[in-house]
Amino acid sequence: MKITYIKYPLILAIAAVTALSCDNDDDNTILGGDDPAPVVLDFSGTFAQQDQMGRPGINTVLSGSSAIKNNFNVTIPSEQTAIFQPQFLDRAVALHDAFGVSYETNILGLDATTLTTILATDVLQVAPNAPTTYFDGANVLTGRTLTDDVIDVSLILLFGGMDGNKYNGQDLDGDGMADLPILVTDNVDASGETPSSTFPYLETPQ
Amino acid sequence: MKKTKAIILSVGILAGITLIAADHLDAPAVAGTTADITDFFAFEGANADNTVFVASVQSSLAPAGNDATFNENVLVEINIDNDGDLIEDLVIQAIPRDGRMYFFGPYAPGATGLNSTIDDDTELTGSVEITTDGTAITAAANGIQYFAGPREDPFFFDFTTFNGVIGGTDAAGPNGGFQLPGEATDTFDGTNVLSIVVEVPNSLLGGTFAHPAGTGTQVFNTWVEAKTKQ
Repeated sequence: MKITYIKYPLILAIAAVTALSCDNDDDNTILGGDDPAPVVLDFSGTFAQQDQMGRPGINTVLSGSSAIKNNFNVTIPSEQTAIFQPQFLDRAVALHDAFGVSYETNILGLDATTLTTILATDVLQVAPNAPTTYFDGANVLTGRTLTDDVIDVSLILLFGGMDGNKYNGQDLDGDGMADLPILVTDNVDASGETPSSTFPYLETPQ
Repeated sequence: MKKTKAIILSVGILAGITLIAADHLDAPAVAGTTADITDFFAFEGANADNTVFVASVQSSLAPAGNDATFNENVLVEINIDNDGDLIEDLVIQAIPRDGRMYFFGPYAPGATGLNSTIDDDTELTGSVEITTDGTAITAAANGIQYFAGPREDPFFFDFTTFNGVIGGTDAAGPNGGFQLPGEATDTFDGTNVLSIVVEVPNSLLGGTFAHPAGTGTQVFNTWVEAKTKQ
């Protein structure tokens, strides 16, 4: 039965859609664990993708419509860049146009095409033997901790230009008033978050 | 200036941009359900030989939404690519049954891609009672630690201002950008998510390859998927 599943996933998918679900006793498993009494559970069936995520905010920010968002969520990572990079680039350009500014090659030396090419493949790189961080000044995209300011990193890469600080409320004419918008930080940092240093790390719910 | 910006935005960018990050409400087709992935983290554990994966589902739950539960028809699957071809080599699967979250893997799936099955014959590695209140229930088996339940949303972002920036409305800060320090607000403060947390020995996570950005750091790729039973 298992071999059939593995060899013929498409056939199974069609069969599952037709039959809605396969309640086959052969697939039940007796599980003990730390339960007081063994229970019989059913994990059979085919599970079809509804949502996908690697890096934070990529789909939400760079997909310009609900249709693009939904399509992105059911596209496997190896096919994402070919399909979505052009749309993400359009979106990045539109975001800049809205402020009457233009994209400048960013602090990592990436032009708009290269940046959107990288971001369109929505996976997170993780370094098992190096510091894990979204960006800490020294390490780039080696994981994501609970307190990494991923929004600011994304804004810096998108709007920060070569020095990472291109649009940060600068006063250009010296009149004491900001002339440029703040686009490289939302000015919310991790100071309000106090994750635990031990498993499961996330804070107690409110 | 504001009006011009609004017009450009309404023409240049499609309407209905009610964006919530990180992936909060990124999936209109499954928004508000337990198949809506809210966030994903991967970081070094308290034990440096382990990697912690956090996958959250459902959009920000106010405290009143704490009775939200995982769905037995939704499989949360953490994918790991060990050679950089963007195809999963290992998966960690989590799915609830009768108040417990069951975990399978890491193991090499029989098939990759949009559709998954669960190899419950040989790949069950552990389970944990699903936490329902503030006291976290955890479990450990096969070197892996497990948690599932509501947690405070660790994400922080001035989403209200962001919408103003994107939409060209008065919710934006000076010159249509973000707020000055001290004026910004974390929209997600005091809201909850349903989280699955696993801490896995790196020895179970397979090989690594040179970072695609050219930094030379050895990495694997990871991403999370929510899949519903057909």
